[in-house]
Amino acid sequence: MPRFLKEFFDRNGLGLGSVMLGLVLFWTIGLIILPQLSMLDFSFRPNLPPPEIGGPKDLYTMENYKYLVFGPEGGSQDYNAVDLKVFYRTLVAAIFVTIFNLILCYPIAYYLAQTKGNHIRIFALMLIIPYWINEILRAFALRIIFGETGVLNNLLVAAGIFDTPFDFVRNDIALYAALGYAYILLMIFPIYNVIESLDRNQIEAARDMGASWPMIHRRVVIPYAKPGISSGCTMVFMLSAGALAAPQILGGPSSLWFTQLIYQQFNDNSDWPQGAAYAVVLLVTCILLVLALMRLFKVNMGDIGK
Amino acid sequence: MKNLSLMRLSIWAYLAIFFAYLLGPLVIMSIAAFNSPEFPRATPWECLTFEWFSALFQDERILNGIKNSILVGFGTVVLSVAMGLAGALMLTQLGPKLRATYYTIIIAPILVPGVVIGISTLVFWDRINRMLGLDADSFLSNGLFLTVIGQSTFIASYCMLVLVARLQRYDTALTEAALDLGATHAQAFRKVLLPFMKPAIASAAVLAFLASFENYNTTTFTFGEYPTLTIELAQKVRYGITPAISALAFISVLLTVFAALFNEANIRRKELVALARKQATVEELSRGSFKMPGFLSSNWAAVALVIVACATVVVVGTATVYSPQQCIADVQEQKRLETELRIQELQRQRELRRQQQEAEQGSTAPAQSKPAGNNSGFGGVFAPSTLSGEDSSSAVEPEAKASGFGGAFAPSALSGEETSEGSGN
Repeated sequence: MPRFLKEFFDRNGLGLGSVMLGLVLFWTIGLIILPQLSMLDFSFRPNLPPPEIGGPKDLYTMENYKYLVFGPEGGSQDYNAVDLKVFYRTLVAAIFVTIFNLILCYPIAYYLAQTKGNHIRIFALMLIIPYWINEILRAFALRIIFGETGVLNNLLVAAGIFDTPFDFVRNDIALYAALGYAYILLMIFPIYNVIESLDRNQIEAARDMGASWPMIHRRVVIPYAKPGISSGCTMVFMLSAGALAAPQILGGPSSLWFTQLIYQQFNDNSDWPQGAAYAVVLLVTCILLVLALMRLFKVNMGDIGK
Repeated sequence: MKNLSLMRLSIWAYLAIFFAYLLGPLVIMSIAAFNSPEFPRATPWECLTFEWFSALFQDERILNGIKNSILVGFGTVVLSVAMGLAGALMLTQLGPKLRATYYTIIIAPILVPGVVIGISTLVFWDRINRMLGLDADSFLSNGLFLTVIGQSTFIASYCMLVLVARLQRYDTALTEAALDLGATHAQAFRKVLLPFMKPAIASAAVLAFLASFENYNTTTFTFGEYPTLTIELAQKVRYGITPAISALAFISVLLTVFAALFNEANIRRKELVALARKQATVEELSRGSFKMPGFLSSNWAAVALVIVACATVVVVGTATVYSPQQCIADVQEQKRLETELRIQELQRQRELRRQQQEAEQGSTAPAQSKPAGNNSGFGGVFAPSTLSGEDSSSAVEPEAKASGFGGAFAPSALSGEETSEGSGN
C-alpha cells in the first residue's frame, strides 16, 4: 500500500476512510471524469443503430465535427452557415448578458456589502425569494410581460410611446432579460462576499486623499473585488451559454440557441454522436474563452467558487 | 450636503428599479393566476377567478411531476450531501500540490453547462449498460437513476462548497482528543464532527433539494419515464398553457414568502430573547422569571407572517363562496358587442367607399382604409360600451368567443378581408 494511502487510513480509520474514498472516487471518476471522456469518445463515432455498435462499422471518424463546420456532405453551401451562425450568436449573446449582469449587479453588491442595518437583511431575502421559484415559471413570467399583448406592450401603447405593440420576443430582448434575470444571484454573491471583507477605512482613506467616487471604485474597490467579479462573470457566462430553458421559452421563432441545436440532435434527430460533438464544441470553446479572459485579467482558477 | 442627498436618492431609485426587475415578474405572474382569460395574462384585467387553482389540483401530469420531483430530490439530497461531505473532508486532508488539481475537478461541474452533464451521463451509463450486457430497460437506464446521478454530479459541488466553509472552522484537535480518549474513528465522526457540521449539512440539503427540484437542463436528457415537475412545466409552456401554471407560481411564491418570513421571525425572536436575557438582572434569571418578549412585539417578520397567514385564510374562504360566472358572461357579452360594432363600422366604411368609387369611377385607390375601431393590443376591452349595438347578426358569434386573445385578432383579420375585397373591386 502506498504511503499516503496508509496515512490516509491511519487518520480516518479503515471503515470511515474507505467510505470516504469510495464516495470521492465515485464522484470524481465515475460521475465527472469518465462521463466526459465517454462523451468525447462518443462524439468521434458514427451514428449507428444499437446492434452495430462495437461492430466493424464502429470506427473513429471526424464526421460529426465536419458537419458543424461544412454542413451535410454534398450540401449546397460550402459551410454550415446556419449552425455556425447560431454558435457565434450564442457566444456573443452570452458575453453581452454577462456584461449586462455585471453592470447591473456591481452597484447592488457594493451597496449590500458596505451598508449596515436591518434593511440589508430584507434586501437579501428579497434577492433570494425569486430563486425559490421554478426556473421555467420565472422564464414564463417574463413572457407574460414581454409578449405581444403582454403587460409591457399594453403599458407602452397606453402611454403613447409606441403606436403598435413592439415584438420583444422576436427581437430577443425578452431572452436577454430572462438570462440576465436568471443569474443575478450568481453574479451578486461572489462580488458581495469579496467586497464585504474590504476594509472600509481604505475607502475612507482614498476619499480623504481627494479621490472621486469613480476613482475610488476604479483604483480601490474593483482591484480588490477582482476575484469575485471574475468568479461571477465566469459562472454567468458559462451558464448563459449553456442555458436551455430560457431560449426554449423566450427565444424568437427564427433565432436558436446552440444548446437547442444539441437538444434537437438528441431528441428530434436521435443522432447522439452528433449531439455529443456539438456539446464538446460548446464546452471546449467556453472553457478556452474563460481561460483566455482569466489570463487577460490575471485571475487564478482557484478563486472561482469562493 | 446637497450632493450627498442626490446620491442617496439615486441609490434608492436604482434599488427600486433593480427590485422591480427582480420581483416584478413574480407579481405579474401572481396577478395572472387570478385573471379569467384562458391564456395567462395580467392585462387586460377581466374577472377575478379562482378556477385555475382547482384546475391545477386536478392536473394529473402536474401532480405526477411533483411526485417524481420529490423522489428525485430525495435521492439527490442523500447522494450529493454524502459525496459533498466526503469531498470536503478529502479537500482538507490533501497536500497542496494535489489539492489544486482535485479542487479544479470537483468545482468543474458547476461551470460545465447542464446540457453537457446530462448528455455525458446519458452516454456514459448507456455504455456501461451495454458493456454489462443488460437490456434497454435495466436499472442503469432507468430515468430516476439517471436523473439522480446526473443532478448529483454538480449539486454535490454546491454542497461541497457549503460544507467546506464550515469545515474550515473545525478544530481537528477535537477529533484527535476523541480518538485519544478511546473513541473509534466512526464514533469520533458521528459524535464529534457530525454534530458540528449539522447546520451546514442542513443548509446543504436544502440547497441540494431546491437545485434538484428546479433543474431542467440536465434532467431534460435523463428523465426517461419519470418526467419531473420542471419537465412537465416546460412541456406545458411549449405546447399550450393555461393560468393553472400561474396558480402554481403563485403558490410557490406564497410558500417561499412563508418560509422566509418564518425563518426571519425565528431569527429576530432569538435575538430579542438574547437581548432580554442580557438585560435581566441576575436575580430575575435565577428565579427564571425575567420578562420574555412577546412573539409579536418589535418583530416585523412575525407580524408580517401573521398578516400573510390571515390574508391566505381570507382568500381561501372567499374562493369557496365566490363565483365569477356572471362577470365572465358579462365580459364575453361585451366582447361580442364590440366585435359586432366593429363589423358594422367596417361595413359602413365599405359602403361609403363603394359609393365614393362609384362617384369617382375608380380614380382613387382604397389605400387609406383603416378600421376605426382598431385600438390594437387592448382587444377592445377598454372601448366605450355606451355605443353598444343595435341588432345582432349570428354570423359574428363564433368570432366573439375566439378564446383568450380577447378579440385582438379580430380587427386585423377583418381589415385583411376588407383590403382583399377592396383590391378585388
